[in-house]
Amino acid sequence: MPAPDKISFETPLHGEFGPVVRLIVGGIAARADFGFEAMDDLQLAVERLLAEAGSDGDVKLSFELRADGIRTRIGPLPEHEIAQALQDPEGAPGTLTLGRILSTVVDSYGVEESTDGHIVVRLEKLGRGGP
Amino acid sequence: MSTAKESGHPQLREDDRELLRRYHDLGDQSAREALVERHMPLVRSLARRYAGRGEPLDDIEQVGAIGLIKAIDRFELEREVALATYATPNVVGEIKRHFRDKGWAIRVPRALQELNAKMSSTIDRLTATLGRSPSIAEIAESLETTPEDVLEAIEVGSAYTTLSLSAPVGEDAADPLEAIGGEDEGFERSDDRAALAPALARLPQREREILRMRFEEGLPQTQIAEQVGLSQMHVSRLIRRSLTAMRDELD
Repeated sequence: MPAPDKISFETPLHGEFGPVVRLIVGGIAARADFGFEAMDDLQLAVERLLAEAGSDGDVKLSFELRADGIRTRIGPLPEHEIAQALQDPEGAPGTLTLGRILSTVVDSYGVEESTDGHIVVRLEKLGRGGP
Repeated sequence: MSTAKESGHPQLREDDRELLRRYHDLGDQSAREALVERHMPLVRSLARRYAGRGEPLDDIEQVGAIGLIKAIDRFELEREVALATYATPNVVGEIKRHFRDKGWAIRVPRALQELNAKMSSTIDRLTATLGRSPSIAEIAESLETTPEDVLEAIEVGSAYTTLSLSAPVGEDAADPLEAIGGEDEGFERSDDRAALAPALARLPQREREILRMRFEEGLPQTQIAEQVGLSQMHVSRLIRRSLTAMRDELD
């Protein structure tokens, strides 16, 4: 099986580049033949994670176009800001946590590595080839 | 854990009241400057919503600051409403006016505007025909254009949604961005900042219901769109806009 195609880029975290990131994620999802809704889900997941990361510094996004979908890695992200929400997807009644949002719009997510108080979040979004 | 009151209108903070009194009654300019400085986080939070639309964020913040100053100048102490609540529509209005005056819309190529106008109905039609969400390539083929243009047109639509804030978005025409004016209590970050309950409660009913269907019931956009009588793309944008507005309130 050939190695998956990989795309990665770095972007400043401040909001001016949000639409650019959406456009790139959309382009990658289109290349993977995602449906509009799956593309929109992945864009939303990336957007919400970046929104939690603050507005200072840069963040790297990498994408693997796998046979069954797209694996996305986003980091470094501030651990303190994000880890708790990710560990508690349900949250208190009546709340809407980042974990809940991610578990709705992607097929799985997790923290892939943790260094120096920062984490890399991995998102798995299945496309049409997925189960 | 919350930065905003759970219900009702946030009250005017005592320290704001004292500064407003010094400025309005005694003409103390330093009090006015202190008020501006205290409430600039609100301006920055609101300005960020308009970032990436062809204007530097610093410029948008400066325009928003003018709205804040106008709010401080016009504020009447008898109002009892929190200054942040009173200032929010002033700041947003000033920013919107700025974009309107700059003629942002005409910088979007006409072809993309026209493509965007067809996008929503095309996605809904293809979804019904195919029995699943259409790919970008399928949308492009249907519209006789390229996938890249489809993506750009969708993004242009998102920009319009954010900017065309005066356009009614529902039966009550309430705009969630402007409905949220309750930032108060110093904007401190709480440890539980990703839990959006208070902000959720302040969204218009329809947006709350859409979020509930999406994130509690786990319904796909297509089903939500059917139930609330909107296009799938409109549902997508309302979800994004609501989540952004709720998150901004926590900054």
